[in-house]
Amino acid sequence: MKKIILTIGITGFLALTAAFTTPTVSKLISKTGHINFYSHTTFEDISADNYKVVSTLDTATGEIVYSVPMQGFEFKKALMQRHYNSSKFLDTKKFPKSKFKGQITNLTDLNFESDGIYTAEVTGEMTLHGVTKSLSETATITIAGNKITIETNMQLTLADYNINFKTGKPSTNIAKTIDVTTKSVYTKEG
Amino acid sequence: MKKRIIKWSILLIVSSVVLIAGIMYYLLNQPHRNVQATAPDYQMDASALVNEYLSDVALANDKYLQIEGNSKIIAVTGSIIAIAEDLNQQKVVYLKGILGKAGVSCTFTAETNIQVENLKIGDKITIKGVIRSGAEYDKDLELYEDVILEKCVILHL
Repeated sequence: MKKIILTIGITGFLALTAAFTTPTVSKLISKTGHINFYSHTTFEDISADNYKVVSTLDTATGEIVYSVPMQGFEFKKALMQRHYNSSKFLDTKKFPKSKFKGQITNLTDLNFESDGIYTAEVTGEMTLHGVTKSLSETATITIAGNKITIETNMQLTLADYNINFKTGKPSTNIAKTIDVTTKSVYTKEG
Repeated sequence: MKKRIIKWSILLIVSSVVLIAGIMYYLLNQPHRNVQATAPDYQMDASALVNEYLSDVALANDKYLQIEGNSKIIAVTGSIIAIAEDLNQQKVVYLKGILGKAGVSCTFTAETNIQVENLKIGDKITIKGVIRSGAEYDKDLELYEDVILEKCVILHL
């Protein structure tokens, strides 16, 4: 009898521990996010797309994390893509992933249970090319049924992340500040 | 005599300029590497590739990633655990790697999407693609990231 009670007790304890340590279901995952960057100069427009962005959205805490496989950017021209990946630019062999970890600061203005379009203020840290900088941006969050879509449109100054080109063609053909747009779609469980 | 020298010099200059312009044009507009038509650099089980990354990510990156982005082309064999579509309407097939941890995510292209049509979960297949990044545990995401292959095509062995 004692044994049975002990077994039940231990099982209950383990179940409770498991319940509190497993990741909460409020954390949603998107494995196929899209990032585009666009550079405009009078000489040339350069655009690249990446459809392999992994990100998580915690609807309870407002935490957002993006992880970007840097070699996943696809350019129109093969030579541009090689330059982008090379050690002179993004050095993607040395820095294969970039990351953003941030927090929605106006979480009380959002309701993840109610369909609509919301504007979220996001503050966090971005790590690109081995350099970490703080970043604050607005994001548009669209909630429709069990789908949550987060879209951002921001400008990044390349020199902030130690991506410099002072001479030659790159210095005239690549903008100092580029437009970056992102889109990730999450599916709510249940 | 003088006339001939001038004539030849002009011809030489013009042909050099044309040649250089031709080379420049080729370099600037050369096509992307055709991953589908290239033989794989490595062939292995999905679990072996994931395991290599989980045991030493730096070593695996050094082996598979290339400095200018034309990274290794790998043919991986594994069981399908999920099939999805990305925001560019490309099919994504997930192969089982190490259960409960990471797998291999294989993105097809507009041309090869059709190969995914008859696939179903549980099928064991071999997929060839270019590696974009490896598997590792990310403490901020709180999950294992998959090995990512793109430009995928199914290999019939």
